[in-house]
Amino acid sequence: MSKDLPTAVQIKNLTKIFPLPFRKEKVVAVDNLSLSVKPGEVYGLIGPNGSGKSTTMKVLLGLISATSGSSTVFGMSSTETASRGSVGFLPENPYFYKYLTGAETIAFYGKLCGLKRKAIKERTSELLNLVELEGARDRRLAGYSKGMLQRIGLAQALVGRPKLVVLDEPTAGVDPAGSRKIRDLIMQLKEQGITVILSSHLLEQVQEVCDRVGIIFEGKLVREGSLKKLIEIEDQTEIVLENAGSDLLKKISDLVNQESGVNLVRSGRPRTTLETLFLKETGGDSKDARNDS
Amino acid sequence: MILAILVVFGFLRIPFESQTEQKLKDLGFRDWVPNMSAREQLTQASFIGAIGGFRSLVASIYDLRAHEAFRDKDWGSVERFRKVTTSLQPRFAKHWDLAAWDMAWNAYAYYRSKSEFSKDDLELWRIEKMIMPSYLEKGLSFAKEGAKWTPESYRLPMVIGDIYSQKYNNPKLASEWYFKSSQAKDAPTYIYRAYATQLAKCVGMEEEAYEVVSNLYNDGKLRTLTLHRDMERLEGYLVNELVQAKSIDELKTMVRKEKSKYIIHEAIATYYLEEENNISLAIDAYRELLKNPKAPDFYRRKFALLIAKDPANQERAYKLLKKMYLSSPQIFRRVDLIDLKKLESELNIPTKEKLIKSEDSNKQ
Amino acid sequence: MTVENNKSIDNELNSKFKLFSLSRVMAIAMNTFTQLVRMKVFYFLLIFSVLIIGANVLFLNFTFEQELKILQDVSFGAMTLFASIFSIVGTALLIPKDIEDRTLYSILTKPVPRFEYLVGKLLGILFLVAVSLLLMSILFFAVLFVRQHGILAEEINQMRGQPSQEQISSLREDIFAQGLRLELINGVVAVFLKAAVAAAIALVVSTFASSTLFTIIVSLVIYFIGHAQSMALNYYFPEGDMHGALQRFIAGIVAIIFPNLQIFNVVDGIVSGQSVPMSLMFRLTGLTGFYLFIYSFVSWVIFAKKEL
Repeated sequence: MSKDLPTAVQIKNLTKIFPLPFRKEKVVAVDNLSLSVKPGEVYGLIGPNGSGKSTTMKVLLGLISATSGSSTVFGMSSTETASRGSVGFLPENPYFYKYLTGAETIAFYGKLCGLKRKAIKERTSELLNLVELEGARDRRLAGYSKGMLQRIGLAQALVGRPKLVVLDEPTAGVDPAGSRKIRDLIMQLKEQGITVILSSHLLEQVQEVCDRVGIIFEGKLVREGSLKKLIEIEDQTEIVLENAGSDLLKKISDLVNQESGVNLVRSGRPRTTLETLFLKETGGDSKDARNDS
Repeated sequence: MILAILVVFGFLRIPFESQTEQKLKDLGFRDWVPNMSAREQLTQASFIGAIGGFRSLVASIYDLRAHEAFRDKDWGSVERFRKVTTSLQPRFAKHWDLAAWDMAWNAYAYYRSKSEFSKDDLELWRIEKMIMPSYLEKGLSFAKEGAKWTPESYRLPMVIGDIYSQKYNNPKLASEWYFKSSQAKDAPTYIYRAYATQLAKCVGMEEEAYEVVSNLYNDGKLRTLTLHRDMERLEGYLVNELVQAKSIDELKTMVRKEKSKYIIHEAIATYYLEEENNISLAIDAYRELLKNPKAPDFYRRKFALLIAKDPANQERAYKLLKKMYLSSPQIFRRVDLIDLKKLESELNIPTKEKLIKSEDSNKQ
Repeated sequence: MTVENNKSIDNELNSKFKLFSLSRVMAIAMNTFTQLVRMKVFYFLLIFSVLIIGANVLFLNFTFEQELKILQDVSFGAMTLFASIFSIVGTALLIPKDIEDRTLYSILTKPVPRFEYLVGKLLGILFLVAVSLLLMSILFFAVLFVRQHGILAEEINQMRGQPSQEQISSLREDIFAQGLRLELINGVVAVFLKAAVAAAIALVVSTFASSTLFTIIVSLVIYFIGHAQSMALNYYFPEGDMHGALQRFIAGIVAIIFPNLQIFNVVDGIVSGQSVPMSLMFRLTGLTGFYLFIYSFVSWVIFAKKEL
């Protein structure tokens, strides 16, 4: 951790190996991964299912221990319980005690954060308001929809006024409207200067809210940087022309061929991806509910 | 690591635990030992239950099974189940009590009464009749074993007393056990009275019995019919002894010395009646006797019946007897009632006003 | 919300992290209790009532000693059974379920040490067991009280003639000696202590087991061995019995590793009229505390390293 630039999260050379029971082989879930998140940043971890996103988060939150390497939250090692004092976590597909009501759930987690009775009462109303669950305050969670559970999960994560919020697949399995709400909430957190780390296997979601993105594949951080930069293909330039005749295209092609070291990779009609099209037509929401384990 | 903690913990707690076990044993919480013979007695489920802290419940279940076997008159099973209940909970007196009862009363009575068997089974009955005394002995041994386990309780010594008095007709042993029972802290008072009753039946122990019986009689809390009878019988016995041992002069000297002893008056009266057939002197002796406030009520009856022997006084005597009978009928023995009846017919008392109706004499 | 309120919340949140906080433990304990209550476990009280009232109705024709004894046997039996089942099944149901449902994630990512989570769960279960035993005791004592007076009235009724005051009082003494008495409370306490140890056993098992069923089965096996092991101990410290060295060794190992639950069985004696001195009750309570402490510690050792 550098002294002049305080980091919210610092993961250094993290490796996590899971032994397989009754077998000699082992699974390397995270392989020598390093990353750091600055305070106030919204950081997106993306990667396909099983790429090591959740494992990294679990190490960060002290749910599992690292095989090697280190992980700190605001300078405190993740292995210390006290480091959880400044963290809020929303697990993937959160499941809470379904026999508790919304208000009781927030109160329970508030108590765990060390809040007193009076503070709990205020914080509960405040958070239920924030996640727009005031109306479901005294209903048991057994009757909540997935989106509502996700939002009560977010409220639960925020009860201790964390400086860092970790969201594991926050919109997985949530209907488009719910998904939108959650994204708005993340933006609100960002405005309040809260650091957010979220994981997703949907690029589109990450794209909208994240300042920086890290791509994990097979346990390794393969790319990291600001979203714009990541998407750029550095040695290529795209020209999109409207109403260009075949003559013009021929001229351009000839021109390119004259330069040494430059190749025309392809030309033709640009195609939108089905996903982009789908997202465009449905207003940017995704119905994808695949899970990342 | 974990194993190490458990082992260390084990070594730390075992001395403490075996010390505690020893205390529990001393206090009588570990009377039943789950060994092979206990295992053979119980079904598997019961054995597990007994180990698992349901010993008392298992005992109750066997109690019910014994009850069922009793209804089926399957005495072998009754005995077996009673053995289980008593060994599971030897400090619960009622188990022993029921075991003794089933053996010495129920099973014993069953084999004693021919009526339980059909004609064809008579041979069987004869065979089983031989078993009869053994059930009595079994009952007695249950009771004696139980008495050892429950030294604080009056119950089993009482049961033993019952068996000796009702089954063996042995008032001496019965009285000994009743006495033992009566000394227990929780003993009801009737046990001491049972002791007195049995003691009064012991031949050759009359003086000892009189001591007990008269004390009971004089404390007057509860004078049962038996107590009245025993008192009269024992005093009668002592009077006879006196009459036989002493001359009339000696008796007269004694009566001057020991005025409080009304028995001597009775002895004098008896002497006059039996030796000299002198009713009037006997009546005089009774008059003296009745001046003594300690004299039991039945002497008033004796006195009145004596007066009635003189035809001239019959009417007066009858009035006296009538009053006596109405206020305390318990002082009239059956034999006295016959006398009273005779008197009533001699005086031609109308049937309606008769004190003694025919069924009454039976009842008393 | 006022600025002042905000400050007070911040103060509470920023106060130094405590290594052990009773309020957190109590929050988890009460949550566990609420969970079990809302799972409607208290319906068992209906079964309990049916049992003891049934025990009463069925055995009316017996002697009063038998009737009162059966009532106590059935009540204590049901209490032991329910308390042990709640302890084992409750613990086995809740902890693996928290792991399976990943509810544990949201709890352990709060500033809650794992030890507190375990202690909180255990306390919650014990609280439930204590409350249910209390409710059962009230029911049991009430029925016993009503029955002993009922029996007294019936027995007096059956006496020939007018019984004397003395007869009545001796009868009353006889009946009440088997009826409601302080000693029964010691019995209930002993039942609780045994159930508490059973819960601690299930706690240890559930920290390394991954499923509820496995936890229940393993805990029940240990529970059973715990009852039979005093026999093993008899072999270990034989009283005149000769056994092979190997047998003794194995019996010794069993006695050392497994808990001795037989030691809590004092109810049988209490029903047959014996009394447990206070010093012994303290001993048993101390022993239970010892068990709870060690088993919580062991489960923590396992749980602290558990990968969730």
